[in-house]
Amino acid sequence: MNNAFHTTCLSICGGALALGLSVSSVSANEWPTSDIRLVVPYAPGGTTDVLSRRVADLLQQELDANVIVENRPGAGSTVGTGRLARGGRDAQHTILMASPGHTIGAAIYADLSYDPVEDFVFLQNMIDIPNVMVVPADSPYESVIEFVEAAKEQDMTFSHSGVGSSIHMSGELFKTLTETNMTAVPFAGSGAALPALLGGDVNVSFENMPTVLSHIRSGDLRALAVTSAERSEYLPDVPTLSEVGEYNLDQFITTAWFGLIAHSSFSEEAQNVMHDALDRVMEREEFLDFAEQLGAEPGQVSGDAFKQFIVEDLERWEGVAQQAGISQ
Amino acid sequence: MENFSEVIAIFFSLDNFIAIAMGVVIGVVVGSIPGLTATMAVALALPFTFSMQPVAAILLLVGIYKGGMYGGSITAILIRTPGSPASACTLLDGYPMAQQGHAKKALKAALYSSVIADFISNIALIFFAAYLAKIALNFGAPEFFWLICFSLTIIISLASGSMIKGLMAALLGILLSLVGLDEVYGSQRFTFGNYNLMDSISFIPLLIGLFAIPEIIEFYRKKALPHIKAKASGAGLAFSELKRCLTTIVRGSLIGVIIGAIPGTGATAAAFISYSDARRRSPNKANFGKGEVEGVAAAEAGNNGVAGATMIPLLSLGIPGDVITAIILGAFMVHGLTPGPIMFQENLSLIYALFMGIMFSSIVLLLVGNVAIKYFSLIADIPKSILFPIVLMFCVYGAYAVNNDTFDVWLMLAFGVVGYIFNRAAIPAAPFLIGFILGPMFEDNLRRSLLIGHNDLSIFVRGPITWTFIALTVGSIALALYRFISARRDARNAAGKSQQE
Repeated sequence: MNNAFHTTCLSICGGALALGLSVSSVSANEWPTSDIRLVVPYAPGGTTDVLSRRVADLLQQELDANVIVENRPGAGSTVGTGRLARGGRDAQHTILMASPGHTIGAAIYADLSYDPVEDFVFLQNMIDIPNVMVVPADSPYESVIEFVEAAKEQDMTFSHSGVGSSIHMSGELFKTLTETNMTAVPFAGSGAALPALLGGDVNVSFENMPTVLSHIRSGDLRALAVTSAERSEYLPDVPTLSEVGEYNLDQFITTAWFGLIAHSSFSEEAQNVMHDALDRVMEREEFLDFAEQLGAEPGQVSGDAFKQFIVEDLERWEGVAQQAGISQ
Repeated sequence: MENFSEVIAIFFSLDNFIAIAMGVVIGVVVGSIPGLTATMAVALALPFTFSMQPVAAILLLVGIYKGGMYGGSITAILIRTPGSPASACTLLDGYPMAQQGHAKKALKAALYSSVIADFISNIALIFFAAYLAKIALNFGAPEFFWLICFSLTIIISLASGSMIKGLMAALLGILLSLVGLDEVYGSQRFTFGNYNLMDSISFIPLLIGLFAIPEIIEFYRKKALPHIKAKASGAGLAFSELKRCLTTIVRGSLIGVIIGAIPGTGATAAAFISYSDARRRSPNKANFGKGEVEGVAAAEAGNNGVAGATMIPLLSLGIPGDVITAIILGAFMVHGLTPGPIMFQENLSLIYALFMGIMFSSIVLLLVGNVAIKYFSLIADIPKSILFPIVLMFCVYGAYAVNNDTFDVWLMLAFGVVGYIFNRAAIPAAPFLIGFILGPMFEDNLRRSLLIGHNDLSIFVRGPITWTFIALTVGSIALALYRFISARRDARNAAGKSQQE
């Protein structure tokens, strides 16, 4: 009994430690001088969260500091990101896992409290995940062309995981480029959206690759195209949308990107340490294996190139949001 | 089975047993602390599982999930502070029982019904996963819409006393649930530019405020220090009482299993549906809400019945039904496993080892729960003048811990005042809660159905599932109306008689 009581006490202490009350591991004068917070601007459990926890685990092996993941969900990713943008004394030790929500959020929320480009420094694009245009297995459409031709005749529905998600915006982009009639059907997350697609309640979706890969392999869903610039090594037989060559689809190149950013005041020294550490993380076997399991490609850009990528991504989504009438 | 020995080899490793035991203990403890939910604990434990064997990793998370489901009921019963949203229903009868000096009995009833429900849920997972998963796929937006309509009729049975006050509370709950992001257009509603409200009103601060704070206010308002009996925790649960609740528990478990197998409804709704079903059928109807052991059993059976069943869509379809299973899905993927039909072909031994572990976790829950009750029930013996300041501290901490945000603390205190007004005006809080939980589901599925059906209303009567729920909804309302009218007639007759006299 006493033992059980001790275990209980230990777990409480463990919980408290894990909740961020842990003592700082202070080293010499060099950065980092305290624990690093990795803010996840989404609730636990999604791709951003799982990725961040994996990265945090590897990063703290490379740095002389604990890396503590903190979920700050809300309003797309704008609540957590807004907090980072405000800076404060923790800003030197806070990084954030940004994703398409960063640029899409900026494109659809007019009165955002921060500038998605100028208020941050861009450290490293960690992974890219293509979206896949999928239809139910019993759908009559075998190719993108067939689908578009049908969508010109009749109103189609596409499911997505929430307003402003990359899945939603990809659907809107497709609708705009092909000038077809498509109605967006929102769900609370991909978990809720998937049954509607599998059950044939909606005609199509532009889901993230990891969510649908096993269903494509088992034959429950049919992949018509991937949204990345190159074919995915996980679905080598599936064409890219830009390959289709018609209906302006050559302009359709998007991926769900995930990358680390920090406040604009993040010091030069800290940036250098982070770049070195992240380079090492991205070369590690564990990281590459993890990316493969997600159906993701390791990220290509860092620093200024990453910033340029964000600027372009932002411009694209601003255009789509305006066309689709979802900017506020 | 051909590879039975392989299954045994995978399952019988010390790591697995330690993982389950640790998971359940962490779950019970974390679940019992207001504001710390099983979801958080599972998310925090996830990185630790990266270096573990896949089966042990998943079992650790499943253990936390199950422990957390039960743990939430402990503080709900003892201090009227639900440790997790799913245990909000447990306090309706659990707390009155504790006040009457039956804390231990309530805790035991909660534990045994949790364990039985968990067991039934596991059986359903192991033997009927494929079948239930098929039903889940037929559950589209219109079917959901009618399920929610039926569930909303619960309000009628929970509006103990005045129907008008019950409906008022429910509508207020629905009104508050509208705050935040509109799911279809993505526009902000009733947020008044406050970014803290942009997502929605946080559920946990609302829960804590609504239930725990009014008790504290009431205590200090009266200022009289009640003399606590030497042993307020009271006796345990007699076997005869458990036997009396058994059909309720089994029915509640089955409700939990069905709700759990359908992605996206959740344990909280299951607990309330099971509770109202039990109340409708019980001979002790009048005692519900005043400390009825059957009420505790029904609520806990409902929410624990969900636990095993949410693994059904996860394992057979790769679809997570709630946030916790979404995190568990993440854990699978970290280990290179993708839940879904293919896993049943490629990793069958692993799945069966997992099933064995899940079954074993029910037994661990029973043991850990019993130890926990032994210590936790002592809380009931602490004088309230000492207990309540500590409870208040936990309320503040719990509200803060959800988003690490002081705004939620103010929100919790504001709902404390609302709860106090409700208490004074004899407005039941349960319908308010139901409205708050089910309101958004009602709206979203209504609008989703219309989008899917291109505004054609025939989608609402598209198949046997919708017909069944329409019949249940209409029946439930008709029954309530009949009871309401006949009660009025009886009252009028009685009044007429007394006037004649």
